[in-house]
Amino acid sequence: MNTIPNLWVLSIIPMINILIFPTGLTLILVGMFYEWIDRKLVARLQNRIGPRWFQPFADIVKLFAKEQINPDKANALLFFGLPVLALSGALTAALYVPLMGLAPVHSFPGDLIVTIYLLSLLTMSIGLAGWNTRSRFSLVGATRALTQTFAYEAPFMLAMLGPALAAGSWQINEINTYASGHWMVLTQPICFLVALIGLMGKLELPPFDAPEAETEIVAGALTDYSGRGLAIFNIGKSVELVIGITLIASFYLGGLGGILPFLIKTIALLLVMSVFQSLLTRLRIDQTVGLWWRFGAILALAQILVMIVWKGYFQ
Amino acid sequence: MNTEQVLKQAENLLGTWNKETSHPDPTRLDAVVDTNDLHASVQAVHEAGWGYLTAITGSDLGLVDGRMEILYHFCSGPAVLTLRVRQSRDVQVVVPSIADVIPPASFFERELQEMLGIHVEGLNNSDRLFISDDWPEGVYPMRADFTLEQAAPVSVSHAAPLPEEGVVSGNTFVVPIGPQHPALKEPGHFEFTVDGEIVTAARMRLGYAHRGIEKAAEKRNWNQNLYLFERVCGICSHTHAMAYSMGVEKLAQVEVPLRAQAIRELVAGLERVHSHLLWLGVAAHEAGFDTLFMYSWRDRETVMNLLEQITGNRVNYSANVLGGVKCEIGPEQSRSVKEGLTYLEGRIRHYLDVVTTDVMFLNRTRGIGTISFDEAVRFGLLGPTARASGLVRDVRVEAPYGAYLRYPVSAVTETNGDLEARFVVRLKELLVSCFTMRTIVDNLPEGPLSVRVPRKIPVGETISRMEAPRGELFYYIRSSGGETPARIHVRTPSLCNWVSVLEKAVGRQLADVPMLIAGMDPCFSCNDRMVTVSRSGGSQTWSWEQLRQHGIEYYKR
Repeated sequence: MNTIPNLWVLSIIPMINILIFPTGLTLILVGMFYEWIDRKLVARLQNRIGPRWFQPFADIVKLFAKEQINPDKANALLFFGLPVLALSGALTAALYVPLMGLAPVHSFPGDLIVTIYLLSLLTMSIGLAGWNTRSRFSLVGATRALTQTFAYEAPFMLAMLGPALAAGSWQINEINTYASGHWMVLTQPICFLVALIGLMGKLELPPFDAPEAETEIVAGALTDYSGRGLAIFNIGKSVELVIGITLIASFYLGGLGGILPFLIKTIALLLVMSVFQSLLTRLRIDQTVGLWWRFGAILALAQILVMIVWKGYFQ
Repeated sequence: MNTEQVLKQAENLLGTWNKETSHPDPTRLDAVVDTNDLHASVQAVHEAGWGYLTAITGSDLGLVDGRMEILYHFCSGPAVLTLRVRQSRDVQVVVPSIADVIPPASFFERELQEMLGIHVEGLNNSDRLFISDDWPEGVYPMRADFTLEQAAPVSVSHAAPLPEEGVVSGNTFVVPIGPQHPALKEPGHFEFTVDGEIVTAARMRLGYAHRGIEKAAEKRNWNQNLYLFERVCGICSHTHAMAYSMGVEKLAQVEVPLRAQAIRELVAGLERVHSHLLWLGVAAHEAGFDTLFMYSWRDRETVMNLLEQITGNRVNYSANVLGGVKCEIGPEQSRSVKEGLTYLEGRIRHYLDVVTTDVMFLNRTRGIGTISFDEAVRFGLLGPTARASGLVRDVRVEAPYGAYLRYPVSAVTETNGDLEARFVVRLKELLVSCFTMRTIVDNLPEGPLSVRVPRKIPVGETISRMEAPRGELFYYIRSSGGETPARIHVRTPSLCNWVSVLEKAVGRQLADVPMLIAGMDPCFSCNDRMVTVSRSGGSQTWSWEQLRQHGIEYYKR
């Protein structure tokens, strides 16, 4: 007798949660919306008019309608599989974060680590894709993308570690709950900055866009991608943008307790990011690595040490 | 030392090599030397530090005369020394290469090889630099007996094929930049061999925008050519037209009214502002600083509007006519010019502040591509690129012409020679230009705008040097007394500055290469002028008439 409600609760609702709301389709749309906000803000800061609200969506539709060209030398399976892998990595990561200020779809102790790994999948896929397509621009782009990963990944992880240490949990949901009482941007400003800039590095946004510096290597690792593959990679990036700023907002900006705080806090973060994007000159790859290891990692580490000492001393 | 003494000095240097001396005008010394003595005399001039080699002009004097002439032009301030070598055109013309003494001469010598089929002995580079790959072997477009039929395209590839996937060995591979590449707004082709991120070798190929202007000029009358030369370059169209018309006026011995001269300088100043602001944006974009790119191009609109208001055009202003100018500066124009300049001066000061203080931007410019003073001399650099290394190469200062005698400008130099210095030089130069333009507008002499220039220009030849935004622009004009010129040779500043990119890219990171290319403000269409075939669809050759007809039909719709 109980089978139907059970099916409903156990299968249909999670299915809807995963596929439609809040992750899945909704997330993709939100991602495009955030991409538009980012593009519009950067455009306004650069004294341009910027795209209309549906432009990212139109781009994706157009790309899906276009032919995808598979380079001769590329492994077809990898060529088609990597964009999908990147997007699914990002979408899976979305399950564990408090999107739209709602409780995560799924949560378990230690999901923070899983999320961070899943978020790296995008960069890894881009790097592999560049290597796989065998174009010279892609090769240079892929090398740069992977080099950059080594630069920001560790500091970014350290920056996520800070709030986790403060909250005493590895579970995103619990950190979020803890954060709603503590604005950690005030107690851990350095880690906050490192996290924010690390996210820009992850998304290859200026000034960390050396892996896709168009004036040197055309479109970097994705030079030979067209049509569907490129569209999926782009969606993956937009989704990762949303997840990344959701994470940072929930950890550092007093948690996310509902749709409105979510929108306000994430869009505020996006504004800060677009200011950085338009103010700063692209770094060379050696400068990126130098910046992260000389300043980012060390400062984040110092902050963590302070945290540990403070925690051990007072509690 | 005045010009006369400088020329006397040159004459002494040449000594007995000098077979026949003449002074076409007070600032020029024309010396005929033997082919065998050429290398020695060039070496003597060069080692004495007498000026710099500015251009090598090759010209075919025609079937009647039966000779070819190769002219080596040296400049020292206003003084120009021309070494003239003459050989019979019936046999293979051979001249010794002087690139071992003056390295940048190799570009000029390759032009001689490709355009006139002159064999340059000792120049071991037969790669094509200007002429397209499908141009038949042994056909030289600037020869007097060249006909279009000879130029039917062949399907031979002269370029060495790239290795598989560009991989040379192990980690070393070739990154091609251009002819179509987001870093280049104009077509040029570079091959940078990189080991990881470090550039280990650089090669370049020009000629993707050849239009055969020099050849075309020989078929058009003096007046039509003004509009032709204006189209050598879109950015410095006024300087080209001005260099051409001032040369022709010199040949025709016509005195241009003072008012016209002043307006010419004014438009040249506005053009410099427009060119440098455009460059600032492009260079910022290459560095990945798009905000500066957008802002500087927005402000460039101001100067474009001024140019449009004065001349009616935004790009090819067409302000010149032979014998003067055709646009008047009335009270309304002078008011808006002054208003525009005030705004622009403020913006330029701001950009100067940005490029010298923005830490992130300085990361990409300070200490990068540094060219020392000695290197600048050795590479034969010109214009702002040279001035950034402390080398004063500015025709407006060294050899003032036209209105620059009445409204002088001062040369802006920097000593660091890196990319930052090139930014600073160009921006400071704009402030100087703005100041001069204001003076011109305030003190515009009264008088007519132009005088009549005869349709036929007397026999003679002249050299017209002018400071374009990118450096010294050199025109050699020869008239045989008819309605059309006998030979016009153009040497644009970009050609002399290339060597700064090729030499400095090696050992740098790939990421710096676009900045290095942008640092000299290259102008590809300036470089490429010569081939005279209009093609459409494979091997079909269109005559000028057909092409013209096609154009008319096309625009009828």
